[in-house]
Amino acid sequence: MMKIDTEFLYLDYAATTPVDERVAAVMAGLIDIDGDFANPSSTHVAGRRSAAHVEQAADRLAMLLNCKARDLIWTSGATESDNLAIAGAAAYRANRGKHLITMSTEHNAVTDVFRALEKGGYEVTWLAPDEHGLLDIDAFEAALRADTQLVSIMHVNNETGVTQDLAGIGDICRRHDVLFHVDAAQGVGKLPLDLATLPVDLMSMTAHKLYGPKGVGALYIADRPDCHIEPLLFGGGQQRGLRPGTLPVHLIAAFGEAAVIAAASMAADLEHLTGLRDQMWQGIREVPGIVRNGGADASFPAILNVSVDDIEGESLLLALEPLCVATGSACNSHDQEPSSVLRALGRSDELAQSAIRFSFGRPTRVADVDFASRRYCRAIDRLRALAPEQPA
Amino acid sequence: MTGEPYNDTVRGLFEAPAHAGDLDGGTTVFLADHSMRIALSARLSQGNIGALRFRAWGCPHFIAAAEVFCADYEGRPAADLAGFSASEVMQTLSVPVEKTGRILVLEDAVRSLGQSVRGGPDSDQGRQ
Repeated sequence: MMKIDTEFLYLDYAATTPVDERVAAVMAGLIDIDGDFANPSSTHVAGRRSAAHVEQAADRLAMLLNCKARDLIWTSGATESDNLAIAGAAAYRANRGKHLITMSTEHNAVTDVFRALEKGGYEVTWLAPDEHGLLDIDAFEAALRADTQLVSIMHVNNETGVTQDLAGIGDICRRHDVLFHVDAAQGVGKLPLDLATLPVDLMSMTAHKLYGPKGVGALYIADRPDCHIEPLLFGGGQQRGLRPGTLPVHLIAAFGEAAVIAAASMAADLEHLTGLRDQMWQGIREVPGIVRNGGADASFPAILNVSVDDIEGESLLLALEPLCVATGSACNSHDQEPSSVLRALGRSDELAQSAIRFSFGRPTRVADVDFASRRYCRAIDRLRALAPEQPA
Repeated sequence: MTGEPYNDTVRGLFEAPAHAGDLDGGTTVFLADHSMRIALSARLSQGNIGALRFRAWGCPHFIAAAEVFCADYEGRPAADLAGFSASEVMQTLSVPVEKTGRILVLEDAVRSLGQSVRGGPDSDQGRQ
């Protein structure tokens, strides 16, 4: 397993994970002259050997998700999968209607696609979460219209860890003949997902959240009569023309290996992560003014997001060093605005800007969480001691 | 945000601000806006600034800037407070230009402190 650097303590596994050494070995074995490096579209023997790795990886990922391997399209990651699913489905069904539904707490890879579609003439209903971050099912059903074509709701929220009821949402979508897309970047390989029974039409995923490499993802497209998408890219016709381009065999094979490992260790990982998250919360819950962001009842085990009253977020982040944690989505950590996800949960700007997301992974140890919780408490004490009282 | 957001000076001053705290019997001013709060306290000794302390709520650059001010101005004539400039501190600490407004709040606080101490050694004209 990975080496822990003594100069920092990494607790940002929701942003990305290190590549598992078994995964790295698979990848390394495929990139040079001694490996199966050939273009898998080539018909010669080397190409066929590469293609076999791609097929095996699809089988492995399909086994993790309990779906058919041919229903998986390889992409560069969850962002591309989200774009392809949403824009592709909207385009395919545009002649039936242009109404789409999503939540205000989705990842930017989803919300920005919907905003682009709005500019292109689509109408988007943005549903707000309840105070725990969950979709209000009644409000959702009420928002569905005769011209609604696509609903996109994420599985596990990347900031808060709030986990949506995919089965319940999907059932409603099926009853209304609406496609259901799920951004499952956080949950795939960590929570059980059975696509043979879940009423999900399109699902985005990425390898680097489950100890695979960055640069490869997948989109599940259900084999149903009404479930089709238009491509966003055009070129060599690979992957039935839905996502052309030479397939990165080493990355895809690595994704497959990561899927095998995830399937084998999921139960142990869940127990481990749940214990770490609960330990962290127990260690900091007595801090005056602390609040947990996202309902504990629907909380993903690997993520704990907390805000605290009257603490400046940027100073808190520095005071927490050597902890590597997030103030929100790592994808938008350059943005100093308070998290829109936390604002949607009803947090004030002040509470939202003080939010810290701790996220745990396979390599995280009990001692790491013990250190992190003490560091958090100490940082809060120090910053509060430094702050002036408001004059009476 | 790319690269290292804080230089070593900022990190050091943020980690161990030697002048953080209060002064008994000193003159204190307070300034605040939505993203920062600062209290500056001065005690004069024969027309010079005998001691300076601060309390701050804000980003690391703001806290480090308050410490730089206190360290630089202790022992100097009280009249020098009127000449405090945010730009010099910003250069020392490599403060990003988008944080200029925050350091200008410190500049306002220092000038307010200068006006307060000129009102007398026991003057306390805290304002918000």
